[in-house]
Amino acid sequence: MKGITKEKLNQLLQALSGDYQVFVPAKTSDTVTKFQPYGEGVQMFWQENTLLSPKDIFFPQTEKMYKFKTKGMSVDIATITPPDAPKILFGIRSCDVQSIDCMDKVFLTRGYEDEFYKTRRENTLLFALACSTHADTCFCTSMGIDPQQASLADVQMSDVGDAFALEAKTPAGEEVLKKFDANLVELSNPKIVPLDEILIHVDMEGVSEKLEGMFEHPLWDEVSSKCIGCSTCTYLCPTCYCFDIDSKLHGEDGTKIRCWDCCMFSEYSRMAGGHNPRPSKKERVRNRFMDKLLYNKKRHGQVFCVGCGRCVAKCPVNLEIATIIQKVKEAAI
Amino acid sequence: MTAEEIKKVNSLVPIKGKIIKINQETSDTKTYTITDENGKKPFTPMPGQLGMLSIPNVGEAMFSITNQGENSIDMAIKSVGTLTNALFDVEEGQECGIRGPYGNGFPLEKCKGRDILFIAGGIGLAPVRSLIMHCIKNRADYGKLTVIYGARSYSDLVFKEDILENWAKVDNMDVFVTIDRGEECWKQHVGFVPSYVEELNLPPTLTFVCGPPIMIKFTLQSLMKMGYNEDEVITTMEMRMKCGIGKCGRCNIGSCFVCLDGPVFTMREMNALPQEY
Amino acid sequence: MSDISQKMRDVAKKLLQDGTVSLVIGWEKGNLWYKSAPAFISLPEDADRLVFDDFCYHNLSKYLIDRRDMDGKITIFVKGCDSRSLIGMIQDKQIAREKLYIIGIPCPGMKEDKAAVGKKPGADLPEAKKCALCVNPNPLIYDELIGEKAPDREKKNDEILEKVEAMSQDEKYEFWQEQFSTCIRCYACRNVCPVCTCRECCFDSSAPQWLGKAENPSENSFYHLTRALHMAGRCVGCGECERVCPMGLPVMLLNRKLTKEVESLFNESPAGTVMEDMAAMNHYRLDDPEEFM
Repeated sequence: MKGITKEKLNQLLQALSGDYQVFVPAKTSDTVTKFQPYGEGVQMFWQENTLLSPKDIFFPQTEKMYKFKTKGMSVDIATITPPDAPKILFGIRSCDVQSIDCMDKVFLTRGYEDEFYKTRRENTLLFALACSTHADTCFCTSMGIDPQQASLADVQMSDVGDAFALEAKTPAGEEVLKKFDANLVELSNPKIVPLDEILIHVDMEGVSEKLEGMFEHPLWDEVSSKCIGCSTCTYLCPTCYCFDIDSKLHGEDGTKIRCWDCCMFSEYSRMAGGHNPRPSKKERVRNRFMDKLLYNKKRHGQVFCVGCGRCVAKCPVNLEIATIIQKVKEAAI
Repeated sequence: MTAEEIKKVNSLVPIKGKIIKINQETSDTKTYTITDENGKKPFTPMPGQLGMLSIPNVGEAMFSITNQGENSIDMAIKSVGTLTNALFDVEEGQECGIRGPYGNGFPLEKCKGRDILFIAGGIGLAPVRSLIMHCIKNRADYGKLTVIYGARSYSDLVFKEDILENWAKVDNMDVFVTIDRGEECWKQHVGFVPSYVEELNLPPTLTFVCGPPIMIKFTLQSLMKMGYNEDEVITTMEMRMKCGIGKCGRCNIGSCFVCLDGPVFTMREMNALPQEY
Repeated sequence: MSDISQKMRDVAKKLLQDGTVSLVIGWEKGNLWYKSAPAFISLPEDADRLVFDDFCYHNLSKYLIDRRDMDGKITIFVKGCDSRSLIGMIQDKQIAREKLYIIGIPCPGMKEDKAAVGKKPGADLPEAKKCALCVNPNPLIYDELIGEKAPDREKKNDEILEKVEAMSQDEKYEFWQEQFSTCIRCYACRNVCPVCTCRECCFDSSAPQWLGKAENPSENSFYHLTRALHMAGRCVGCGECERVCPMGLPVMLLNRKLTKEVESLFNESPAGTVMEDMAAMNHYRLDDPEEFM
């Protein structure tokens, strides 16, 4: 088994950076961890999953789509091409890898391919990291995910103590390991650090099907009461994809941008003229959980929750999907 | 037509278009005739499909395409919000952004050879009109055409030339127009559309309904009472839209996106969706 | 504290059973030992869910805004800081006093849940960050009090604020730009704030659109500075805004600075401490100081 000692990790990353833009989990401040391009001064962070999911690599929070110029009656439009440099997501965990699969389904299937997402997503290699520690709030195993084997990984990395073992999973992964073989070492008898028992368990069996008949269930009044209608869960969730399209104006010139939006915001579905199909928190909370656990399953064949636990950790009022799944499971119909 | 059947790939970036003609329908509704920058049709929509029209520094919104010519498409737009208010003030020659076509469109195959009933209220006539115009242009392919249309008042009736003159002249086509409350100048029927539908009591047939949500609700109730078939009553929905391609998540009714799986739905499909629109 | 929990359950049960109130807003346990959450109880048998422990940070008064027109009275449990925002809301006529049956709980200070991550239940935890500068542990308004009065707390120096105040203009700019560039505009701070009670927030307005959704330091600054100014002199110091921020922004720093400015300019009682004294920026007197004009 080939691998890289933790001591020599920087060397490997430097070498890879020659050919790829390498994203590593990094600590950017006392309170924030996120994926950042590897470079000098980047403080890498391996203890637990990043606070911000890597979805902003392919789906930035604010993205420029096209420039325009409006003068009098004339309009001019010029597309902006997103960057398409080959990338490596180095150290992404199984839950986030699964979330990329979900996002691919949203942006690349069902009639249209989102060109902005597609350009950023192409030529990306996933170096998945097997978790050797987990947060209190993780529950990926309940969502059918193996924290130590990521389904879509090109290369599966595992913590074996003083090194990371690197196992190619796809031809593309094999190719890159071969190319950078000089930086790797042969690991003798690598033992993968086992993962402690995960604390939170939910039973997903039959939950989506049960939700079909629960649109008018009183559960939604109860759970939506404490929601404060912010977008913490949505912005941190690796599988939430709602976006808005807006303009930034500078006199005659302007840029059309796409930016993250949240279905929990009151004006999210408000139409011109004032009608709002989801006028209160209850409808919006219900819609978000139905969307994650049922509607996306109908559209794409999979539930849009990967058990990363970010919403569990950060929701100001502890209204999070693990408890909702439990409540749905236990609800009397 | 399902999303899968739409093969054309459209991006979120519009092409440059031009509003070459503006026709005032009512005090707050105008019909805009749009071409691309070369005076040609920006795209070829199927009846019932939608297009995203933008004045880039103001906004972008989805509108139904109410008719198409050889070199242009028409959109009938009511002034209710930021973009539509701005559109209300533009002049012929205004350039714009245009992208489309979006949505599943009306099921033309289902219509072939059939007698068809069109029921519309207010600005709701705009999306249905694309199908009516298609049937008229290909008259031999379709059976008897009947239109029941109503609006709040005489001045709110849209496409007056069509409903009061042109369509009555079409072979084997009946037009019934009503307004909510009587007026001096109005000599035809007075009353709400749903009750007019019950009054006329036409035999169940393939039916297309569009209008304000409340009118659709009561009309569909009336049609069910009259024994119409859930698979043969078809409506076209509206929700706030931003991307138009089923990605931004906003226009969903349950698991369906109105911009992608709709906006055209049969009554059976509507009843299977959560009642949240 | 479990003694308080039992008292909460007993009084809630009684109030619901005899019809005095139709809703009780309190706290209950979340899904981890260091998480508690707001609870809405309308049936006497559900009252056993109520708890009061080290993690009952939530200022429940915000929830009254959506319920001001509901049938029947509402019981709300308040700590010291929460009671100040309740006074502010009543002063602002956001909720009628007669609508409420307020139960005060003297607060021993909450514990920092962020320090509990990864630890076993019962681990020793430091005091919650938001409680550091508290001077109102005892509720200032209540119909009933549960528990022993908490000892007075000494007013501490606001060292963090003093540190930023001591920075040069450029250093301050750098500091705040770094903070604001981390903000993801989730609006958790605004939504949890009991003082932010506008029916339509200016930042939700689409016509005119004061603020778009683009996330960049400039727009983020605009949001935070505007909100802080809208709240100047009205902030009650509950610290919820900073607690809920997922990115760890020092939101309270802005509020505390403005509170300090308003207090020194107008020399009135702090917001929400005396029912008869409106917050400084909510009223005027003809003899108000004018030197800064």
